Amino acid sequence: MASMHFIFSDTVVLLFDFWSVHSPAGMALSVLVVLLLAVLYEGIKVGKAKLLHQVLVNLPTCISQQAIAETDGESAGSDSSPVSRTHHRWYLCHFGQSLIHVVQVVIGYFIMLAVMSYNTWIFLGVVLGSAVGYYLAYPLLSVA
Amino acid sequence: MDHSHHMEMSYMDHNSTMPPSHHHPTTSASHSHGGGDSNMMMMMPMTFYFGFKNVQLLFSGLVINTAGEMAGAFVAVFLLAMFYEGLKIARESLLRKSQVSIRYNSMPVPGPNGTILMETHKTVGQQMLSFPHLLQTVLHIIQVVISYFLMLIFMTYNGYLCIAVAAGAGTGYFLFSWKKAVVVDITEHCH
Repeated sequence: MASMHFIFSDTVVLLFDFWSVHSPAGMALSVLVVLLLAVLYEGIKVGKAKLLHQVLVNLPTCISQQAIAETDGESAGSDSSPVSRTHHRWYLCHFGQSLIHVVQVVIGYFIMLAVMSYNTWIFLGVVLGSAVGYYLAYPLLSVA
Repeated sequence: MDHSHHMEMSYMDHNSTMPPSHHHPTTSASHSHGGGDSNMMMMMPMTFYFGFKNVQLLFSGLVINTAGEMAGAFVAVFLLAMFYEGLKIARESLLRKSQVSIRYNSMPVPGPNGTILMETHKTVGQQMLSFPHLLQTVLHIIQVVISYFLMLIFMTYNGYLCIAVAAGAGTGYFLFSWKKAVVVDITEHCH
């Protein structure tokens, strides 16, 4: 089994076959990339919540009431085309949110695998990136 | 760790999609070499690969050897990731529904002009031994175990299984969170 304790090392292979690091310069660049990845992860978490809030504010207020009424089986006639248009917009927006969720899940797993390399520099890069990302992104959440 | 990786690649075909096998005594003679320490290096792949031969999945009995088994494993992992997202949403809605127990605490406070006013505090919460809280705890344990299983599946570094995890999470979020967003909309925007 590969080393199961944290080591300080300049050589590591991260995630993909082509991402092999041999030198201190390469290691510094890899730490920077992993740091930006962690910042992006925290940013996506906040961005998803803000996007949902913006959508809920901008769409017509009682779209959900009509959605519930329709699902009850007593669907009104197709006279309300603006309603179907906003439904369409809502489904598009939710599909976009799902794609963002997939990106968030994948980035989260990539960060987990990077930490699994047990390289201390990479781990510190992830921790620092998470701290910087949280520091920059979460104040934007409270404004909403 | 990195040097062992390079040594392993020197006698393995670089174009092979086979991951380093876990059980060296049972593999074919192509892996025969003088090193007796072969069992110690590269037990787990550390980079992404696409393959379906000799893929160990979570338990010692589950080994994928054919494309059909890989397809079945893909579907199973996809459904597991979808179930995990659904469980998260279900626990949130269950928590919201069960927080209807509101306790009022009234205490007298002195008011102006010497009168006594009653100040009422409202607390929303669950009791520790109530059934909703016990159910939440059981669901939490299930959620934690499934999340660790998904992490371990992603840790196999197998490209097909990782794509199954990501796609399952996205589909589960799409299917289950849509309902949650509609419910949230009711309570916050439609009076």
